[in-house]
Amino acid sequence: MDVRALTQGGVRRALVLAATLIAGALAVFFAMKAAPGDPALTALGENARPDLVAAFRHAHHLDLPVSAQFALWIGGAARGDFGQSLTLAGGVPVASLIATRLPVTAFIGAYALVLAVALSLVIGTVSALQRGRLADTIGTSFAVLGVSMPDFWLGYVLIFFLALNFPVFPSYGFVSPTASLRGALLSGFLPALAIAAPMAAVFARTLRAALLEVLHREYVTVARSLGFGPRFVFFHYVMRNALIPYVTVLGLQVRYLLGGVVVIERIFGIPGMGSLMVDGAFGRDYPVVQACALTFLAIVLLTNLLVDALCARLDPRRAA
Amino acid sequence: MLRNRTMLAGLTITLVVLFGVTAGAALMPYSAETMDFIDVLEPPSLAHPLGTDSFGRDVLTRVLVGGRISLVISLCGVALAAVLGTLTGMAAAWRGGATETALMGLVDLLFAFPSFVLALFLMVVLGYGVQDVALAIALVYFPIFARLARNLTRVLRDEPYVQAARLIGQPAPMILAREILPNILSALMVQASIAIAFGVVIEAGLSFLGLGVQPPTPSLGVIMADGREYFQKAPWVLTLTGLAVSVALLGLNLLGDGLRDLADPKLRQALRA
Repeated sequence: MDVRALTQGGVRRALVLAATLIAGALAVFFAMKAAPGDPALTALGENARPDLVAAFRHAHHLDLPVSAQFALWIGGAARGDFGQSLTLAGGVPVASLIATRLPVTAFIGAYALVLAVALSLVIGTVSALQRGRLADTIGTSFAVLGVSMPDFWLGYVLIFFLALNFPVFPSYGFVSPTASLRGALLSGFLPALAIAAPMAAVFARTLRAALLEVLHREYVTVARSLGFGPRFVFFHYVMRNALIPYVTVLGLQVRYLLGGVVVIERIFGIPGMGSLMVDGAFGRDYPVVQACALTFLAIVLLTNLLVDALCARLDPRRAA
Repeated sequence: MLRNRTMLAGLTITLVVLFGVTAGAALMPYSAETMDFIDVLEPPSLAHPLGTDSFGRDVLTRVLVGGRISLVISLCGVALAAVLGTLTGMAAAWRGGATETALMGLVDLLFAFPSFVLALFLMVVLGYGVQDVALAIALVYFPIFARLARNLTRVLRDEPYVQAARLIGQPAPMILAREILPNILSALMVQASIAIAFGVVIEAGLSFLGLGVQPPTPSLGVIMADGREYFQKAPWVLTLTGLAVSVALLGLNLLGDGLRDLADPKLRQALRA
């Protein structure tokens, strides 16, 4: 492998990532400035005393020109300082709010992703190998059903049918994984399942289609005629190649997964980034909403980078 | 064969849903607003197939009216996204070079935000209301249509009939409108049919959280948010409304899948990406 080309590619990607983040920060910041309502009046109430409003504006740099405000904000953001929360937790640095919420969302998101991958690997493989038979019909029906159910509704149905009948799964609240891993896995199961179901459906469809396409390639027939066992052929020739589109779709769906996290966290009362953003939206806490949007953007961009790297490992043709 | 049968099922469901949301409410003996404090939170029965809510309103009637509202919102949002996205994508692919880089950079930036985060963010910027939800849906789907239109246009740009139109000196807008657009329209329509289904989910999700359509307008999300209030006492309102939504989306998705399989094989690859 050409190490120099690889590092060059890495540097270029890092630059594109940084440029996208800055463009995203610009868009988020100026869209927020165009929003109706005065943050000072939102935080202090409509009938606040004028001198208090002026002091609040000064403390949060709202009396500066917009361009200067942006420079201050992005300069702070680069150092991990997103300013202070206005209404949710008056005066608390947004960065510390995010620092407590992000691990929770990362846990739920990863949990959902693992569930979705596990479900889809089984369903996709079985449907492809049993093509046209009962198992395939059941699998593909599940896949279409999965994308048709709104995730927040599925969350409630899961609470209704599972949480109320099986008290192992709490219907509300969340136990931090650092406090009790068992508690976190149990309390996170239903929300993760609600997020994972539509994902699993999309992944399973992709895997089934990819497997079916590869199963009839000439090199698979050749491998079989060379006398390799069916298991060996499946894992080394079929699955290996079908995984490339699968991983690509996995990466594309991360933005939907994070979208699902936002709604589901709120429903199950999970104190993550999603419920922080929704609370921020309700309280018109602009710095919080801005920081959340930017953090979600960063997560998606980093995941894309990871998926690209993974695809390059799976498909040496792409690494060049 | 199986494909055709599932597509037929999708078409049937879609037609029933369309009939229900257009004419259904008029055929019901109740109105979506009439309150009836004797029949409060009634479980499903023959008189009220989906039960009644906390004001004694018939849930089925509300779902039919709400379905129309949600569908119109989604339709407007997706239509706006499709028009703007197609124009952007076609222009980017045709011009190439710096124009393409700049336009697609913007599209990729929008595409990198989690869809629901983008919608939520927009609700804070725009305010909560019917038009704002439609705009949020438009912004979520704009990058998807732009990418699709750009990829499709790139495939067709070097086709002989396009080259011929170029050689006889047709202006670019005419080539795009008369040679390329008719050939990519079917693929865009397939994408639109799927986007409309997901637009309904975005509307429902935003309104369910209280950040979208506001009551008393009975959109599907508002009805479900309502059902959440008394979920313990009357679980059928939320459960059955969601089930009705799921069946409607199932129909749209099956139809979209079937249409995708019928699409021009040359363009199918771009549709999948």
